[in-house]
Amino acid sequence: MKSQDEIVAARSADWRELETLVSRAEALHHLDGPSISRAAALYRALSGDLVLCRARCTPDLVAYLDNLAGRAHSALYGAEPFPLPAFGAFLTREFPRVLRRNASFFALAAALFLIPCAMGIVLALLVPDAASQILPRSMLDGMADMYSKGFDEGRGEGADSAMAGFYVRNNVGIAFRCFATGIFFGLGSVFYLIYNGLNIGMVTGWVTAAGFGRNIGTFMCGHGPFELTAIVVAGAAGLRMGHSLVVTHGRTRLGSLRESAPDIVCLVVGAAVMLLIAAAIEGFWSPSAAPPPVKWAVAALFSLLVTAYFVFAGRERGRAP
Amino acid sequence: MAEQARRLQPIDTTAEIETPEHVRFHYPVAGPARRVVAWALDWLIRGAVLLLFAFIALLGGLAVGDAVSGLSTGFLLVILFLLEWGYYTLWEVAWNGRTPGKRALDLRVVSVHGHPLRTGDSFLRNLLRAADFLPLGYAIGLVVMARDSRFRRLGDMVAGTMVIVEERRAVASALRIDPPPTPKELASLPQRLPLSGDELEAIELFLRRKEGLGPAREEELAAMVAPLFASRMGIRNKDSARLLALLHARASERRRPL
Repeated sequence: MKSQDEIVAARSADWRELETLVSRAEALHHLDGPSISRAAALYRALSGDLVLCRARCTPDLVAYLDNLAGRAHSALYGAEPFPLPAFGAFLTREFPRVLRRNASFFALAAALFLIPCAMGIVLALLVPDAASQILPRSMLDGMADMYSKGFDEGRGEGADSAMAGFYVRNNVGIAFRCFATGIFFGLGSVFYLIYNGLNIGMVTGWVTAAGFGRNIGTFMCGHGPFELTAIVVAGAAGLRMGHSLVVTHGRTRLGSLRESAPDIVCLVVGAAVMLLIAAAIEGFWSPSAAPPPVKWAVAALFSLLVTAYFVFAGRERGRAP
Repeated sequence: MAEQARRLQPIDTTAEIETPEHVRFHYPVAGPARRVVAWALDWLIRGAVLLLFAFIALLGGLAVGDAVSGLSTGFLLVILFLLEWGYYTLWEVAWNGRTPGKRALDLRVVSVHGHPLRTGDSFLRNLLRAADFLPLGYAIGLVVMARDSRFRRLGDMVAGTMVIVEERRAVASALRIDPPPTPKELASLPQRLPLSGDELEAIELFLRRKEGLGPAREEELAAMVAPLFASRMGIRNKDSARLLALLHARASERRRPL
């Protein structure tokens, strides 16, 4: 039976070698072939030492070996580099498929968003004071002022960039919050969908009541198909997350949550991509000087595109979604 | 101590990992304090990056004039957006589960099974910051962490991850008795020590810790047990720490095959 000092004397050279190998790179695939196989061999030998030392040695040595094993493990099994071809497949097939699989959540999220939105428009049009009772007057006036001029001359390029930046930050933030708060058993997503729907509806109604309905209409129609859909998709992901916490099918809540995680990731990443497209359109196309009929035609084309993408993309012959 | 550990898992903040090769090792799980510091560091770095870009935009504005003010506002807002939602995921993917703040504090994000962090999971756990942060200052995240044995916040639970500590440690140096035991000292000890395995292990653990203890503390700890052992063996105890070292020397010379 070897004492601790004898084990250390016999093995510490190997341990140090492994330590330098794993310190040299975050992930081992940056190293050359012989170094990688040497590291793998040293790691296997270390695992034997670890079993031996756990039985015989003092905790400080065991902690050292545990730490070294952990570092070698995460170096040997380093994270997959970001898979770019997989991202193409994700956009063309995976995302629409997953969305079709979660169609009921998408429908529920759409209802939670669009019904308050419609109510907001109607309320703001019928009851003149409704919008100003709910939203700050200064913000509403600012909005009305913004749309009062129309886009006959377009906006300056600088203003375009500023607004694109603003929309990226603001709208992606709205969508991500719609999703993330779904962790509270879906309630946060429900709240943010209704809240944002009502908000957008109220503003649209107010601006229309002020007499600039055509302006805001031609402005929003371009990016709406992407942006509003993306917010609904993010909300649907949040609802799916909340649902998996409530309806667990006999699993633990956490287990059920993990089970639905791949779908959730898909939906959120898809929504993020759509929001980036929306921001680009919103910043540069929507405020352009193109005549309203062209804008409405493009909007119809975009809506058709998004619908066709969700319905048909990624289908395989002879197989259900 | 090792035998006790086998009988009863100690109540501790470690996570046991079993790999496909049936290697078992333990990770110490990172607690809230360490993670808050790492977060604060990352926050400062994000702030500095934003300031840097703001400075660049300012220089651009001074050089070109008002024409670029909209452009640089948009540019800064996009940078702010990336720092808010992309900073953590970008670093965690590039550095295998670490951000600069986590790296500085020897933290790493891994899956609960000890596998390296995947891109999608990193994205999930960092999006959920929006929920963990509520109502302000990560209040919910901290409460959830406090209730979980692996200190996971909501984002970690959704993504199936945990944050571990990867502190580098040194190999324990070999035990030396200074000055070496004289034959006379060893002769005063009985050939067969009336000590249990647990007691010998406790003595070894004390001797290995000795380097890190002050002389007064060392003497105080040794004086707790040395008189008991001395009276059991019927020998005189002058220097408690020395006696424990001698007992260990005798035990290991008997254990060693001759």
